[in-house]
Amino acid sequence: MKIAVCIKRVPDTETRIKIAADGRSIDESGVKFVLNPYDEYAVEEALRRKEAAGSGEVVVIALGPDAAQETIRTALAMGADRGVLLQADARVLDPSVIARALVAELRDGGYDLVLFGKLAIDDYHHAVGPMVAELLRLPCVSAAARLELGDGKATAEREVEGGVEVVEFPLPAVLTADKGLNEPRYPALKGIMAAKKKPLEVKPVTLEAGGLEVLELALPPERKPGRILGEGPGAVPALIRALRTEAKVL
Amino acid sequence: MTRLVPADYQPALPLHQLIVQEPPGPEAIELDVLFVGGGPASLSGAIELARLVQRDQQQGGGLGDIQIGVLEKGERLGDHCLSGAVVNPRAFRELFPELKDSDFPFGSPVQGEAVYLLSEQGQVRLPTPPTMKNHGFYVASLCEMVRWLGEKAEQLGVNLFAGYPAGALLVDGRRVIGARTTPSGLDRGGKPTSSHQPATDVTAKVTALGEGTRGLLTQAYLEWQEIPSQNPQVFALGVKELWETKRPLDRVIHTMGWPLPNDAFGGSFMYPLQPTVVALGLVVGLGAPDAGLDVHVLLQQLKLHALFRRYLEGGELLEWGAKTIPEGGYYALPARRAIFRALKRGDTSAAALAEYDAQVDASFIRDDLYRTRNMRLAFKGGFYVGGIKAGLMTLTGGRFPGGRIAMPADAKAARNRAAPASFTPDGKLTFSKLDAVFRSGNATRDTIPAHLIPRADVPRDVAELYTHMCPAGVYEWVDGSLRINPPNCVDCKATDVLGPRWTPREGGSGPRYKRM
Repeated sequence: MKIAVCIKRVPDTETRIKIAADGRSIDESGVKFVLNPYDEYAVEEALRRKEAAGSGEVVVIALGPDAAQETIRTALAMGADRGVLLQADARVLDPSVIARALVAELRDGGYDLVLFGKLAIDDYHHAVGPMVAELLRLPCVSAAARLELGDGKATAEREVEGGVEVVEFPLPAVLTADKGLNEPRYPALKGIMAAKKKPLEVKPVTLEAGGLEVLELALPPERKPGRILGEGPGAVPALIRALRTEAKVL
Repeated sequence: MTRLVPADYQPALPLHQLIVQEPPGPEAIELDVLFVGGGPASLSGAIELARLVQRDQQQGGGLGDIQIGVLEKGERLGDHCLSGAVVNPRAFRELFPELKDSDFPFGSPVQGEAVYLLSEQGQVRLPTPPTMKNHGFYVASLCEMVRWLGEKAEQLGVNLFAGYPAGALLVDGRRVIGARTTPSGLDRGGKPTSSHQPATDVTAKVTALGEGTRGLLTQAYLEWQEIPSQNPQVFALGVKELWETKRPLDRVIHTMGWPLPNDAFGGSFMYPLQPTVVALGLVVGLGAPDAGLDVHVLLQQLKLHALFRRYLEGGELLEWGAKTIPEGGYYALPARRAIFRALKRGDTSAAALAEYDAQVDASFIRDDLYRTRNMRLAFKGGFYVGGIKAGLMTLTGGRFPGGRIAMPADAKAARNRAAPASFTPDGKLTFSKLDAVFRSGNATRDTIPAHLIPRADVPRDVAELYTHMCPAGVYEWVDGSLRINPPNCVDCKATDVLGPRWTPREGGSGPRYKRM
C-alpha cells in the first residue's frame, strides 16, 4: 500500500492574526506555524492503513517555503516514511496552481491512495484535494469521516446534514479527511529521533501565475462587550426592552 | 499581631516520586547526553557539545556518533521562557564567533536609559547605578532567543523533545542514569483517556539539569545528595506584559519605590523591544513581610502612573506572563565541591568535571556573581538602608561589608497578616488575573490531574497569602477551604517557593509565550 499525504504549514489556530502593512497579507512575525489540523487526520489515517497492511510506504508532500520542512518533520515523527518539499517562497492563493504543482509530483508516483485534510484552516478553500483528483482523473471522496479498504476498492462514510452518506469507490482514489476520521497520535520520543534520519527531498518549483488576486484583508469587526442588566425576575422587562430595541430580535 | 511563616504550611519535596530507583523501561530511549529543560543554558550547552563532537569526527577522533537530547516541557521551545530582557551580547559572541551582532535574534539596541524613584504622583530621576548600565546591550525576547538557539542546535543534530517534561530522575544506586518523562492524557482522577501516552524513560551517560528557576529535579537532586549552599536560594516574582503602543519608547527605564512597600525589594522595567512594542514588568522579592503582597496587582497600579500611562494609553496588551527569578547570587550556588564529591561516589567522570569548576571560576560568570555577592542580600532590611549598602558594595567591587550576609529562605521569612487589598481593573489599561492568564496563551486542558500539592490543613490567612502571591489566580478561598484551579497555572513557580509544591504536568500544558 503506497499512500501520499499532502500537507500544509498554517498559522496555529490560537494565533492572533495581524494584517501586514501592505493590507493584503498577514504579518508573520511572532506567528507560530503548525501542521494543518485536518492534515493530521490524513497523516494518521495513512499510518494506520500502512500498519494494518503490514507493509507499504507513506510519503508526505508539502508545497511551501523552506520552513515547511519543519512541518514535514512533524509528520515524519508521527511515522511517515519520507517527505518531499515542493519549495516555493511566493504565497499562492489560487488552489488550481497548487493542485497542478502537486499533480506533477503525484502523477507517476504509483500511489494507491492520495490523502488530504478536507480544508486548510488558513484559507478555507476545500479545493486542492478535489482539484488534484480531477486532474489525475481519479475518484474523489471529500470530508470522509470513516474509511474501509477492500481489494481494489474502498468504502467511506461522509457526515452530511442529518445523516451519514456511504460511498463506494475504486482505488486508486483521492480522499480528504474530516475531523473524527481518527484520533491523531502525538509524535513519540522515538519517532522524533527517527524523523531526523528519514529522507526529505527539497525540490524548488516555479509556480504558474494564478487567476486569483488578494485585494484586501480585514479583521472581523470587534464584538461589543456584554453587559449585565440585573438579576432575577426584576431584570426581565429591561432584557425584553434590550432585545426589542437594541438587538432587534423580538 | 500574630505572624505567619509560610514554611510551616509547606509540604516536603515528594522525593520518592522524583528520584526513582528503577531500571529503565523496555521502551527506553538511549542517549549519550541528556539536557533537562530547553532554556538558553541547556541549548548553549548542547550546541557547544555538538560542535566539539563534530570537530572530533572531522579529525578522525574516536568519539563516534554521540546522541544529544533536550527535554522541554513547553509545547515548543521558548513557550515557557520569560525574561526582561536587556541582553549583554557577550555570551552570544563567544558561542557564535563566526556571526555578527546583527545575526542574533535581538530587538532594538539600548539607545538611552533612565532610572527613576517613583512616588504615587511623581518621580525623581536618579543617576544610573553602575550595575544597571546597559550601553552596548540589546533589548530582546527570551522566547525568540531560545527558538533561534533551538534551530542552531537542530542543525547540529541535537534531538529536541519539546512537549516532554522530565518528571523524575532515574537513578542506579547513587548515580543518575537519565530521566523519566511525565505521562499525558490522564483525566482528573489520574486514569488514562483515549489520548493517553505513558511516561518514557530516557537514559544517558551524562544528565545535565537546566530546568531554570526553582527546578524541581534540581531541588530533588541536591536534597537527595545532601548538597548544601552557604545561603538558601531566594527568589523574586516578576510579572511582565508586552504592549503595542501608539507612542514610541526610545530608552530603557527602570524604577524603584512606589507602588512597592518600603520593606519589599524590587523594581520595575520598561524596555522597547521595537520602538512601539514595549515590554514592561515588576519584580518583587518573595521574602517581603506583607502577606498581602500581590505582584500582579502592583503592576496594574504601576501602569496608572503618569510615567507609564503616557506610553500605554490607547495601546494594546499583547501578552502577559510571570516567572520567578533566583536572586541569591554567589552565596546561594550549590557548593560545587560537594557536587563533585557526590558525583565521585557514583561516577568515574568526576575528575573531568573538576575542570568545569576551574572554568566557571575563571569566567565572567563568576566575576559578575562574586562582585555583586551581597547586593541582593543587603536589601533584606528594607529599601533605603539596602540602597546605601548596595552603593558601598559597588564602589568597593563587592569588598564591603566583608564576608557574607546571611539570608533566610523566602518561605521562612515571617509575614504580617494580609491587609485587604482591593483593585478593580478597567479592562483597558489594567486587567484581572483571569484576563491576564488568557493573554499568556495558556490553553491547558481543563481535566488534567492536579499538579499542585498543598497541605491538607491550610487555614484562611495562609490561603489568602497564596491568593495574593499567585499572579495567575490559581488559589481561592471558597466556602471555608482552599480551592485550587490547576489549569490556570503558568509555571512561574512562586507557589513552590512559598506554598503548595509544583510538579510537572503533561507536555504542552501551561503558557504559550510568543515574545516574552
